[in-house]
Amino acid sequence: MNSDGQPMRQTAPWPVEISQHHSAHPPDRTVAVEAAALNKWFGSFHALKDINLAVPQGSRIVICGPSGSGKSTLIRCANGLETFQGGTIRIGGAELTGDEKQLQKIRRTVGMVFQQFNLFPHLTVMANCTLALRRVLGKSRSEAVGIAVHYLERVRIPEQAHKYPAQLSGGQQQRVAIARALCMNPRIMLFDEPTSSLDPEMVKEVLDVMIDLAADGMTMLCVTHEMGFAREAADQVVFMDQGRIVETASPATFFAAPSQERTRLFLNKMLR
Amino acid sequence: MTTVEIFVGIFEGFRVTATVTALGLLYAVPFALVFGVAQYLTKGMARLAITAVIEFWRSSAVIILLFVFYYVLPVIDIQLPAITVAAMVLGLNAGGYGSQAVRAGLQSLDRGQFEAAAALGLPRRHILALIELPQALTRMAPTFINQLIQLIKGTALVSLVTLTDMTFRAKEIAESEYNPVGVYTSLLLAYFVICYPVTVFGRWVEQRIGGRKGLTNEF
Ligand SMILES: Nc1ncnc2c1ncn2[C@@H]1O[C@H](COP(=O)(O)OP(=O)(O)OP(=O)(O)O)[C@@H](O)[C@H]1O
Ligand SMILES: [Mg+2]
Repeated sequence: MNSDGQPMRQTAPWPVEISQHHSAHPPDRTVAVEAAALNKWFGSFHALKDINLAVPQGSRIVICGPSGSGKSTLIRCANGLETFQGGTIRIGGAELTGDEKQLQKIRRTVGMVFQQFNLFPHLTVMANCTLALRRVLGKSRSEAVGIAVHYLERVRIPEQAHKYPAQLSGGQQQRVAIARALCMNPRIMLFDEPTSSLDPEMVKEVLDVMIDLAADGMTMLCVTHEMGFAREAADQVVFMDQGRIVETASPATFFAAPSQERTRLFLNKMLR
Repeated sequence: MTTVEIFVGIFEGFRVTATVTALGLLYAVPFALVFGVAQYLTKGMARLAITAVIEFWRSSAVIILLFVFYYVLPVIDIQLPAITVAAMVLGLNAGGYGSQAVRAGLQSLDRGQFEAAAALGLPRRHILALIELPQALTRMAPTFINQLIQLIKGTALVSLVTLTDMTFRAKEIAESEYNPVGVYTSLLLAYFVICYPVTVFGRWVEQRIGGRKGLTNEF
């Protein structure tokens, strides 16, 4: 049972080594990601303006907003893929310093799923999933394979393990990308428009996996325009426009009674 | 001499041609890899210095480099064996071109590959060795095969530094035997006989890459 009192949806009992794997970090860090007075410039372009955002451990936050509003930039700051010029970012309490070694360590605890999947095309699905387990966490091959099989089952494609990414559909590739990130047992998962480059008929299979994850209590920071997902899984919806957070609200309030005019305009366009 | 005898006579130089090619590869491959990767990874002054070295080997005329290293260096008391000079000059010239293929291959990769690997916490050297290089090198394989053929053909120049390669043998035969048509047609044929299989191999590699996306497995 997870904290919401819902049953865990698992396809297989946890092997011993995986439950050990899962107790790797103590659950005392209450804020998974925290941005304070975050400012980011691309040259002279002010891309993020005084962003304050906390993602408590166990919460699901959805970020939406018009194209170019800075959603990707914000989420990419949260694992150091973008640098920033003002303010601070804390991951599990530790402030990002820009130090390469620290970044590597922190990134192990932050999973990321990209719009374009970014699977490694020269590696099989299994190798995509086990690469970092072996090279970063130093797991043995059999241990890594055990963990990978577990998470491939979780995203419902254990039978594709021997294939190469190009042999899979977009939806399957994105589920592999989710499994690859989950293998590292991250404290938080970042998603940047994970369904935006999928054919419509494949969106659901990926959203179902994400909703499962949410139900199991995974901390998630998710850029998406899938309002159904926001309604079902999110604790908070953050609306961004022109590099600012314009509004933060619970999904119920956000969709029914947004307080800002810009939010209303955006929702009208989205939901039309 | 019959044409067949001429052809066999020319092939007496095959050993030298093959040796220079093989030794040349020993210079070319490491140079291409190290300098291509270094150019890709560095910035500023370091990158300028690396580029200068690459350009020296790539942009100088091979024939002049051969003369300089073989006939001019002895003036300052550096006497290198002809075979060493030949392999080094031809190899580093080919390596200069190869380094650009390596760099271009690395640069052509989708930025998302690096980002996905970095997001997993992989250190830079692992990203290079396990994610970027395997993809770049597969992509560049046809170019490398072309450059190998260029290297084989380029060895014809080593006859100018006294090495008895196929071209040198052809010149020797041409001097004793007045049959320029027979001699030089045979010489053309001799290089074709060596290069054509490499071309075929290159085509096979290209098809393999085109036909199947994934080529290696982490295990
Ligand atoms: N590397 C970069 N260099 C310069 N400007 C950039 C760069 N990356 C993003 N930008 C600019 O920053 C702004 C925010 O970009 P970002 O990708 O974060 O938007 P987004 O909200 O994710 O949009 P979308 O919905 O289209 O993905 C845009 O105006 C974009 O042009
Ligand atoms: Mg974006």
